Amino acid sequence: MTIDAAAFAPSIPAISIARPTKRGATGLNKSVGHLVMAVLAIFCLFPVYWMIVTSLRPANEVFDTSLWPTAASLDNYVYALNAIPIIEMLGNTLLVSAVVTVVQLFTGLLAAYAFARWRFPFDKLTYTLIALTWLVPFQVVMIPNYLLVADLGLLDSLAALILPHFAAALAILMLAQAMRSFPREVLEAARMDGAKSWRILWEVIAPNLRGTIASLTILIFISTWNEYFWPLLLSRTPENSVIQIGIQMFMTSEGTQWGPLMAASTMASLPILLLYVGLQRQVIQSFMKSGIR
Amino acid sequence: MNRKTFLTGALALLATGVAYPALGQSIPATVDQPVTISYYNYNLASAGNGAEATKRLIAKFEAANPNIKVKGVGASSADITSRIQADVAAGRIPDVVQMVFSDLEFTVDNLGAAALEQIVPETELKAHFEGISPNGLQLGVLNGKTYGLAYTFSTPVLFYNADLFKAAGLDPDNPPKTWAEVKAAGLAITKKTKAEGIATGIFGPSAGDWLFQGVLRSNNGSLMSPDRKTLAFAEPASVEAVAMLRDLYDSGAYTNLDITAAMEAMASGNVGMYLQTSAIQGFLVKGSQGKFDLRASTMPRFGDKPQRPNNSGSALVILSRDPLKRRAAWELMKFMTSKEAYTVITSEIGYLPLRADIVEDPKYLGNWVKEHPLIQPNLEQLRMLERWESFPGPNYRQIQKTMMEGAEMAVFGGTDPAAAMQAAQKSAQAMMPK
Repeated sequence: MTIDAAAFAPSIPAISIARPTKRGATGLNKSVGHLVMAVLAIFCLFPVYWMIVTSLRPANEVFDTSLWPTAASLDNYVYALNAIPIIEMLGNTLLVSAVVTVVQLFTGLLAAYAFARWRFPFDKLTYTLIALTWLVPFQVVMIPNYLLVADLGLLDSLAALILPHFAAALAILMLAQAMRSFPREVLEAARMDGAKSWRILWEVIAPNLRGTIASLTILIFISTWNEYFWPLLLSRTPENSVIQIGIQMFMTSEGTQWGPLMAASTMASLPILLLYVGLQRQVIQSFMKSGIR
Repeated sequence: MNRKTFLTGALALLATGVAYPALGQSIPATVDQPVTISYYNYNLASAGNGAEATKRLIAKFEAANPNIKVKGVGASSADITSRIQADVAAGRIPDVVQMVFSDLEFTVDNLGAAALEQIVPETELKAHFEGISPNGLQLGVLNGKTYGLAYTFSTPVLFYNADLFKAAGLDPDNPPKTWAEVKAAGLAITKKTKAEGIATGIFGPSAGDWLFQGVLRSNNGSLMSPDRKTLAFAEPASVEAVAMLRDLYDSGAYTNLDITAAMEAMASGNVGMYLQTSAIQGFLVKGSQGKFDLRASTMPRFGDKPQRPNNSGSALVILSRDPLKRRAAWELMKFMTSKEAYTVITSEIGYLPLRADIVEDPKYLGNWVKEHPLIQPNLEQLRMLERWESFPGPNYRQIQKTMMEGAEMAVFGGTDPAAAMQAAQKSAQAMMPK
């Protein structure tokens, strides 16, 4: 699992392993490697390209296989913006994703600190129970949650979308593991300097768990952004719903409106694409650390 | 676990326990005080014409009935039952809902749907039913009572690509009328063009069983015994209908495409014929515009046997227990099935008009029908429409799924049709109410 105390680890001299290969062979290997990567990159990017191209096609050209539409237009974007309140839905999704991310990190840090630093009755049992909740699919608890938010009078509100995600096993487990690997000497030193738990957590541990926190931020944000079932059950009006529901509204049993759907999808994926572009390294790290959720 | 299965199973238990004290209570003559009713509608869960037209109709209704406020709630047709069950379990019973016909019996047995005869005065009911297609009215009748008032519905139509017909040496003015003719035309298209012969929306995860029921019935097959206790879809007439589809597939005329892929293949001009609900007409028209000549014909029949198409679509059902809300819900139902509403529903959303007298009336659909000849087969079939039957009991969806999986294995999976249908019937019978 994650170890984020690299800064405290003794420095290890870099070891280089000489490869007894000829310069020509190395060059060829490099070229082949680049070619494979270029093909893979095209393979990965093509669906995104196709989404954008389809969003520019008129309805009677949607099924054409040409790489560029004969009469590209932004009509599908205009239609999608008029058909559903995309801007409001994107705003809702952004708000819900941001709040869930912050709250889950906050509760995760508090719980992880308790599990990593303190011994208390049934601590291991509690930790195991939290770990087990990770195995329970959300669909199983969806109806009890629905009844609860209905009782609280929160149906068709953004608060109801956020409430069941206040704490998550993934955040607690990842952070607890990272904190357990944290050098005890540093914590003892902080304690000797008079720091209490609250200060130790926020001023000593949290700044040094930046990598793990960044990874978790990305994972939580993306999974909340892509959440579908819970908003589907909860939402009553498009204005109080999220973008994934909006995209689905272009798919009906009477046919899918591919052009507007792709236009809405392009708009919906922009924030996530920007997140990827800006935080490429952390995104890759986060998937390597925790697996693809 | 499948969400729908979970909801159907778990919440049915909760819902069955609900008592319905107001069942049978008649409604006040008018809505004389402000009231808000919730209206669950699956057109509202879509983007585009269906939602816009529905919103406009609701606004018109509210303007004409200032005391009634309608809160429209969108839920897709596949999810609407699950949503209603969740709300019933949460004690928030919707007042009026648009319910898919295959879910009607479950709604009556488990969710407390009100029979119109029990709550609406007889004279008023009779006056509103006047002019409504009798076949259409029958669709919402269960155990002799009208629980659902047919609202948006359509019939199976054989769409065809007239350009491909010409290229294959077929006469586009004489489309196939029997399954044997469909096979011949399909083979001609596959032989002389690069396109597929015929695709259908009979099978697939979102297909339900409505088209399949029409195929069975057209060969005089049936789903179950008249007392609705014993399944009969493995009887010889039904097996023969399944065997016909298998032969169509084995011959190469019928292509096994996913339900969405089939729709898109037709819209892109890669399939000669396509049997599917008339409700997708708008989608196909958009795809074909400027590309090929799209036409439509009635559902094929078996030799000399009459066509027996059944409907797809939905009915409006009152779930409210409150007499005042029931009156408001009934007023909404009346408006949504009025001549004015059906003019909008047919011309803008694409469903059949339940009131045949508006078809030729220039005040309503007269001019529109002349400009849109694709609706003709649909109107023709309205006269011979049969009901889309729902299976009884809480396992109705599993029974339907078992039947459809057996038939799909027989048609595309290489299993012997009789053996596959008998095995499916045996499994499904165990899920029928005792």
